[in-house]
Amino acid sequence: MTDASKTELVVEDVHKYLGGLHILQGASFTAERGSIVSLLGASGSGKTTLLRCIAGLEQPEVGRIRIGGKVMLDCDQRLTIAPERRNIGLVFQSYALWPHRSVMENVAYGLKLRGIDKITAARRVQETLERIGLGHLADRYPDQLSGGQQQRVAICRALVYQPRVLLMDEPLSNLDAKLREEARYWIRKLVLDLEICGVLVTHDQSEALAASDNILLLRNGAIVQQGAPQDIYARPASFYAADFLGANNVASGRIERTADGASIRGPNWALDGVLVGDTGEGEGKAVIRVEKIGIHGAPAEGRIAMQLDACLYLGDRWEYRLSYGDLQAKAFGPKALPSGPVWAEIPRDGVWLFPAAA
Amino acid sequence: MQQTLKNLGLAALLALGTASPTLAATAEQIAAAKAEGAVSIYTATDIAQGQALVDAFKAKYPGITINYNDVGTNGAYNRVISEAAAGQVGGDIVWTSAMDLTVKLAADGYLATYVSTEKPSLPAWSDYKNMVYATSVEPIGILYNKNALKPDQVPKTRADLIAFVANPAMAGKVASFDPEKSGVGFMIDVNDLQQTDNFWDLAKAFRAGGGKTYSASGAMKETVMSGENVLAFNIIGSYALAWAKENDSLGVAFGTDYTAALSRVAAIIKGAPHPEAAKLFLDFMLSKDGQTALASVGLPSVRTDVDSGYNLTTISAVVGGNLKPIALDDSLLEYMEPAKRVKFLKMWADSK
Amino acid sequence: MSAQETHSGVARGGGTAVVSGRPSSPPRPMPRPGEALAFRRSVIGLLALAVLAPIGLILYQSFLDGPFFIAKSRPGFSAYLYVLTDPMFYEALTNTVIMAVGMVAIAVPLGTALAFLLTRTDVKFRGLLEVVVLVPMFISAIVLAFGYTVSIGPSGFVSMLARSVFGFVPWNLYTLGGIVLVTGLSHVPHVYLYVSAAMRNLPSDLEEAARSIGAPLWRVGLDVTAPMVLPALIFVAVLNLMIGFEMFGVPLVLGDPSGITVLTTYVYKLTTLFGVPTYQLMAVVVVLLVLLTLPLVWFQRRLLRNSRRYAALGGKGGRTTAMRLGTRGQVIALSAIGLWLFFSVALPIGGIVLRAFVDAWGQGVNPFAHLTLKHFANLLEVPRLYHGILNTILIAVVGGAVAVGIYLLVGLAGHRSKDRASTLLDYIVLLPRAMPNLVTGLAFFWLFLFVPFLVPFRPTLVSLFTAYLIMGLAYGLRLLQGTLIQVSPELEEAARTTGATVTRAWRDVVIPIIRPGLVGAWALIMIVFLRDYATGVYLMSAGTEVIGSLIVSLLQSGAMDIIAALAFVSILLTGAGLGLALRLGAKLHD
Repeated sequence: MTDASKTELVVEDVHKYLGGLHILQGASFTAERGSIVSLLGASGSGKTTLLRCIAGLEQPEVGRIRIGGKVMLDCDQRLTIAPERRNIGLVFQSYALWPHRSVMENVAYGLKLRGIDKITAARRVQETLERIGLGHLADRYPDQLSGGQQQRVAICRALVYQPRVLLMDEPLSNLDAKLREEARYWIRKLVLDLEICGVLVTHDQSEALAASDNILLLRNGAIVQQGAPQDIYARPASFYAADFLGANNVASGRIERTADGASIRGPNWALDGVLVGDTGEGEGKAVIRVEKIGIHGAPAEGRIAMQLDACLYLGDRWEYRLSYGDLQAKAFGPKALPSGPVWAEIPRDGVWLFPAAA
Repeated sequence: MQQTLKNLGLAALLALGTASPTLAATAEQIAAAKAEGAVSIYTATDIAQGQALVDAFKAKYPGITINYNDVGTNGAYNRVISEAAAGQVGGDIVWTSAMDLTVKLAADGYLATYVSTEKPSLPAWSDYKNMVYATSVEPIGILYNKNALKPDQVPKTRADLIAFVANPAMAGKVASFDPEKSGVGFMIDVNDLQQTDNFWDLAKAFRAGGGKTYSASGAMKETVMSGENVLAFNIIGSYALAWAKENDSLGVAFGTDYTAALSRVAAIIKGAPHPEAAKLFLDFMLSKDGQTALASVGLPSVRTDVDSGYNLTTISAVVGGNLKPIALDDSLLEYMEPAKRVKFLKMWADSK
Repeated sequence: MSAQETHSGVARGGGTAVVSGRPSSPPRPMPRPGEALAFRRSVIGLLALAVLAPIGLILYQSFLDGPFFIAKSRPGFSAYLYVLTDPMFYEALTNTVIMAVGMVAIAVPLGTALAFLLTRTDVKFRGLLEVVVLVPMFISAIVLAFGYTVSIGPSGFVSMLARSVFGFVPWNLYTLGGIVLVTGLSHVPHVYLYVSAAMRNLPSDLEEAARSIGAPLWRVGLDVTAPMVLPALIFVAVLNLMIGFEMFGVPLVLGDPSGITVLTTYVYKLTTLFGVPTYQLMAVVVVLLVLLTLPLVWFQRRLLRNSRRYAALGGKGGRTTAMRLGTRGQVIALSAIGLWLFFSVALPIGGIVLRAFVDAWGQGVNPFAHLTLKHFANLLEVPRLYHGILNTILIAVVGGAVAVGIYLLVGLAGHRSKDRASTLLDYIVLLPRAMPNLVTGLAFFWLFLFVPFLVPFRPTLVSLFTAYLIMGLAYGLRLLQGTLIQVSPELEEAARTTGATVTRAWRDVVIPIIRPGLVGAWALIMIVFLRDYATGVYLMSAGTEVIGSLIVSLLQSGAMDIIAALAFVSILLTGAGLGLALRLGAKLHD
């Protein structure tokens, strides 16, 4: 997966302090051409700060950043390059289109700054706008555009001068749900087609999972886990990572080692599971993705008897509300079931066990 | 006392007698002044009154620009001393009614000595050591509201005035200068103090009667015109006469037993940037032409041979013969001493 | 970056991705590159020089026993000793405090009520009122005071009317109470302007909640709206307190007849007391005045910092709907506003207009029988007077534009800067406000006299303009900063990340966006320059007269006819400036 020749962005051990707070606690990652890295985290996790550090809009106190092989920041050398000289494109959450400039002028500005003659610039802007279906809007002003159109113009503006890295700060958060799903597709396609290096900040896990090649999960200014979307979803390294992604059942109980692995048990229930990382015996938590629990009408080998309390209709499927002793759980199924006893099938490797402290 | 004063006044008038021949400016002087091209005046006379003089000078000596700076009495003094200190003298002539400040400027060496060509035509008291020259004789008088007072109700003598301000019916309706705020007012008051024996009686009666004090004669005029005050005393008569001419409701009166007069004084500033033009201008101010221009706007001439407006002779007749111009001499410096000033003002404040 | 590595090689919880041996205390911050520091520092440095030079001169003067330029003046505390043991000083100080506090006590509640009515309710004629209520702010204080003497002075037009009704005049303008009332009512717009800005951004849901549980409108204003803008209220109270300390024109005119002195007029009195200008005493009073104001400046800065935080919290979004007043409410509100406008606009302006066209007025005089145009003929005949009018227009229109340009440069120099120089800026900007304009003018007169390279500019409008620039600095810069701060930082950052240097981003993004704000600022600065009367008193010379200072100098001789005509012209010019401002789409609010 790693190909040094394609690496565009290297972030090493970036720390940022604000007042007495340590808001970035050593972030490191690399990003490549033709791929998207997502910085995923709840608000306050430092993801936007990290993005702004890469852009040069914030100055970290510690760390190194290289873009396209050039050193942009080296705190040991007390070297830092101004944002305008980093050759990046940044898409703001608010889009930050200049209200006094037409779409054409907004997009052409980066070219103008790079000394590209007007005719060439106009042609390139038009091409870029056509590419995302906004060719007919070149003469409009931002306030005459819809939110989705504004967002595309903002991305065009950041792309047209072919920056080494395209940074996107929650670019989809101001769009409605349907538009968002469309947008994450075409943003991904655009980045892949144009072979640029994209960095996407988002708090929305489905956006990160769908749009990126690599996800960095941040928490309190630190990277909790990073990896491909499938990896990070399927193999979370911590309770936080496991719980943050997907729809989950969480159970607290006592973890014990067993002959063929481990189990967690409450006062009147027990589940077999796998220990994640260096989890040992003692108080712990289990995370079970909702979709891992299969519900059946009849008992069989390995199935656990549970009580079905209610069924909720979600449109494409049904949600079952289950209880197992004092353990509450959710599961999905294709059809409505009558309340009463049911049998749940939970694969052992679908029950991740973590220490309680984490 | 009054008889003495009268005699002194007469003596002063007799001293001028007939006008002596005037030495006209030579062609060389005029050429030199024109070569300088301009003359700057620092003055407290507002331009509405000064314009006639400026126009007359321009008509006679075209080609010399006049920079007329109306900066007030303190402003003129301030400019002279601070420009001298900076070595950036910008003014040629200082022309102000603050006789005391100007004599102090002379005494402190800020002014140039120049014997005016017009000196033979001027009264003896009207210059200070050939530096400061009186350019007008402005009697100090009473301005009253004709709608409120009949002419026979207006005080004629100092004693009348004291009785008038002490009259409870006039309480709070009499105005005068505030010597704390007006330098000219202060000068007039101390002159009264030096020249009459009942100054403090007047002050006490005035203060006790709730008399109102102002820092400018114009402000007093406004209140008398409106009837807010029925009468203002120690007002500059030259203004008062002009106002009364324009306005039916205003009347002017002068003390028949004693009428002081102040003079607008002019001097050439030492180190003046246009010395020749300054001399020409000073001579012109004192000449018949210049004095005629000033008299035409209500500043009575210090000469006796001026026909328009009032001259020294006619104004003396107007005030009833007992005109007592404030002389330009060292006595003006007496109350420039801070200690004496503060003492006077303290007595003024305590007379309430 | 392999899958295994990402799955297992990562520390848990709040741990760091890469363990580093850094100390927990924050390391030295990195420099911020490309922030145009050289530009920022040189602009701020130049400004500091222009502000601190006159203040420094005054401070130095206060420690001498004579004018600083006289060789025999010796350093010492004698001037302080004199002033601090002078009973008149304490009398003036007491009067000043009473005047300032009284003014605040009148202006703040009324201004707040006005702001509430015009921003939170559906009071009628709002569009018109929003402009008209600002008028008293734009009229020169000296013109205003003069107007009041003509209308409600002891023999004013209105007083005469009252006398014919009651047989006597039931008020006396020439008292401390009269001064407080006049200044209080004329400063209502100052309060209104700030408070309405704060109120405009409030979401209406809280007020609606209060109304829905049955609170009458005035209770809503008192209990809900006012507390929400409390920081703005305190801020504006402090600001007006400072304005009150500096007030000169109104006490000069209204305090004269009854001998009421405040600190600024006490300075005047000191001069004649000693016959010659006693600059050292004047300087001492100014230094004391600055010392009195500095804590307020400091307090105000703290408030401003907090209220910005407050505004950021509460100011986001929120729809505002006007509360309905109802017919009775409309009548009461409009009558109250009308009454106030009558007193603060109609009375003084009416007085001036009348006085400008008559040559006699007062008891027993029918002014309409004395109508005349000759005062205006005077203005045209006397070069000094029409020069004064032309210069005033020149300095207001051209000077105002240049000043906005300079304030813009200063504003940009401090714009989103974390540099220490910009903290310095905040303080030096406020210093001139603590100094009476008269003294600012005097200090600049000295500077242009004694600083060699400035000397050639002294008899030109440049010297006057420089003093005006510093006089208007606090107001103008606040105006510009207010406009600059409205440009969302992301718009600038977008330019930076697109490749523009910071100065380029200002040129291409910030300045074009705030252009309407700049035009508005120009119009307002124009009016500030039009209405000033004190700065030019010492500075103006032949050919550089300005209306306001001409009025002050004419007051000394008392040519009231010409003063009235000049005041009338001044009001016309102000009206024209205001009209122009509105025409250009200037937002007078904010």
